[in-house]
Amino acid sequence: MFKSTINTIEKNEYKYFFFKVFIFLVMIFLIDFAVGKVLSTFYFKQKSGTPYRTSFSINETKADLIVVGSSRANHHYHPDVFEKELALSFYNIGRDGQPIFYQYAVLVSILIRYQPKIIVLDFIEEEFVFDESDYERLSSLLPYYKSHPEISSIVELKSSFEKIKFISNIYPYNSLLFTIAIGNTNLNAGRRNNNDIKGYVPLKNKWNEPIKTYNNNQKLKIDPNKIKVFELFIQDCLKEKVKLYVVCSPYYRNFISTPSSIKLGKSISQKYNIDFYDFSQKSIFKNNSSLFSDPSHLNDDGARIFSDSIARIIGKN
Amino acid sequence: MLFNSIQFAIFFIVVTCLYFILHHKYRWFLLLASSCYFYMAFVPIYILILGFTIIIDYYAGIYIEKSEGKRRKLFLIASLLANIGVLAAFKYYNFLNENLSIFLNGLNYKNPIPYISILLPIGLSFHTFQAMSYTIEVYRGNQKAERHFGIYALYVMFYPQLVAGPIERPQNLIHQFHERQYFNYFRVVEGLKLILWGIFKKLVIADRLAIYVNAVYNNHSHHNGPTLLLASIFFAIQIYCDFSAYSEIAIGSARVMGFELMTNFKRPYLSSSIAEFWKRWHISLSTWFKDYLYISLGGNRVSIPRWYLNLFLVFIISGLWHGANWTFIIWGALNGFYLVFAIVTLNLRNKLSQLIGFNRIPKINHIFQLLMTFTLTSFAFIFFRANNVSDAYSIISKIAKCSGTIYYDNPSTMIYSFFGILLLFFVEGKQEFYGSSISFLHNKHWIVRNLTYVMLIVTIFLIGVFDGGQFIYFQF
Repeated sequence: MFKSTINTIEKNEYKYFFFKVFIFLVMIFLIDFAVGKVLSTFYFKQKSGTPYRTSFSINETKADLIVVGSSRANHHYHPDVFEKELALSFYNIGRDGQPIFYQYAVLVSILIRYQPKIIVLDFIEEEFVFDESDYERLSSLLPYYKSHPEISSIVELKSSFEKIKFISNIYPYNSLLFTIAIGNTNLNAGRRNNNDIKGYVPLKNKWNEPIKTYNNNQKLKIDPNKIKVFELFIQDCLKEKVKLYVVCSPYYRNFISTPSSIKLGKSISQKYNIDFYDFSQKSIFKNNSSLFSDPSHLNDDGARIFSDSIARIIGKN
Repeated sequence: MLFNSIQFAIFFIVVTCLYFILHHKYRWFLLLASSCYFYMAFVPIYILILGFTIIIDYYAGIYIEKSEGKRRKLFLIASLLANIGVLAAFKYYNFLNENLSIFLNGLNYKNPIPYISILLPIGLSFHTFQAMSYTIEVYRGNQKAERHFGIYALYVMFYPQLVAGPIERPQNLIHQFHERQYFNYFRVVEGLKLILWGIFKKLVIADRLAIYVNAVYNNHSHHNGPTLLLASIFFAIQIYCDFSAYSEIAIGSARVMGFELMTNFKRPYLSSSIAEFWKRWHISLSTWFKDYLYISLGGNRVSIPRWYLNLFLVFIISGLWHGANWTFIIWGALNGFYLVFAIVTLNLRNKLSQLIGFNRIPKINHIFQLLMTFTLTSFAFIFFRANNVSDAYSIISKIAKCSGTIYYDNPSTMIYSFFGILLLFFVEGKQEFYGSSISFLHNKHWIVRNLTYVMLIVTIFLIGVFDGGQFIYFQF
């Protein structure tokens, strides 16, 4: 008797609980949907800044010559020089701190829309080195996940539960609230990364410190995913008949020996008959600190000289 | 398996549903099997260490109860040695060896003892201390030896508190595994509320602050005093939110299934003295040390110098419990010093307070005490966070100079950080000074309660850090 009363009470508690959970989930779903929609609208309304440039690269650019890479690509390839030398339209899709995963994702979304004539992929000295934060940086592609299924396999490298997280409409805009708010006002007008010329962001300061020697003899863990994605990048360009140049732009530091990523990058490029140009230790740059903004980035003056060298190489081919 | 992961969310839902579906007779087995799975999700092989101490302590408990006189003590010592031995081997061996090498090098001798390369088993200090409390309580006659091996193993391995506490006592937990737990709507909701608040504290506050703290502390030589000061304050709040979040998720997960675990934090940064701080911070560990070490050393029923020594010793051992590094020992010693200093100077401080007139304005006096306690604990936490003692000294000397402007890479990190801190102090201040009279999570109007849940979830999705990684206290 007592047991059956307890069971009845427990059954009623279950029913009440699951009913409340259902109501609560509906409420969460509706609010998540509404907030997600608002964030999406304002995210894609931005007309300047880094997120805007990513949106433009993925959705709009039709340039003949595309430069792909990290911050070094973004600050090293000057559109005026390329357009003057080659008479081709130009867009720089380089983004600060972004590794090959981001670059490949943008490439596939571009190749779905059109075939650029030339792609320059800027290669960094630690291109293939494993870095966990590189996977976290894929969050910059989250707003494009649902509308661009071609990039889903890349975004899912971030974690094995990424698909579940996308049940939420707010999640793609995680930590972007402030960026979206600023991007939709004039408050970001003076910010450095906001003033680009066809994607290129010039750096104005000059580096005054003496050159340092960088010990790149240490054994660094290589990320097989990065090598795989680099190969996919080359294969996709070959398949779409896009002329690809892989370039390692100048550094203001001495390498004890050729970094392992550069060695690997060269051999993979060679395998596919792709030109790899290594400017990392070119003395014309290394002997002139005034061409740099910091040891890893050329300033605007350096970018013009370097862009001229690359444009000439492309012109000759 | 981290509490802040989707794996855990799935695991928790599956285990809880199965728990209520299963007959009471089989529930212990489900909980034990799921706890094994939970632990093996980290490093599977280390389950053997747990198995070893569980078997030793299970039989030790029975033999202690059966025996009398010296044999009783002998079984207790054997059990304690086995537990401390495991802790020493996995946690302190290399540290002791390293210090021996330094000592022998000073005497121009080479240390012949080799180092061992092993990963510290996750939560080792927590479950070892929980296991030790069992045999001690059986020895003291406060707890009957558990005859059901599965239930005893579950006492040590219960997944919500297995890897980072609260460190339970057998009198509180074991009987709960024998009792039939009924599904209770209000208790389940209370548990879920605690989990939600814990996840919020971890993802929105702790992991957000960690971005700045890690950026600064991992490159401290490149940063100035004000930046290091801000990072140190952030760390004090980060570690509190990180650890208390874990405890709340643990307590909440257990409560959903009907188990009550002990409270581990009671708004420690609203303490007006160091003594009060230690009554509110990591309560399960503080009381463990009080019950099993401090009182065994004689507590305060000894001569005054011995009392001070007891306090100091307990805090040094507490520091060592956290990690095999001089930074933790200094952190513990500093806290011990604060406590002894506070006792020694109590009369003097009272007189000074009267002289200045502080005692006539109790609110100002209270605020001053809160700030002093927070400053002292934050200062000690510099040693806790620094990679080594010389880094800690370098950070402190830079903070003392305090010149330059505060570094920030990304304004959004700062804005989200300050938002989190303000919200935390608002909630805790409200609980501390107004109790539950204006509670949002426990409001009598369902719309306020539900809107609060929704707001917390939306904020987690909006500004929570989803790639923040593990809890700080997992390393202990």
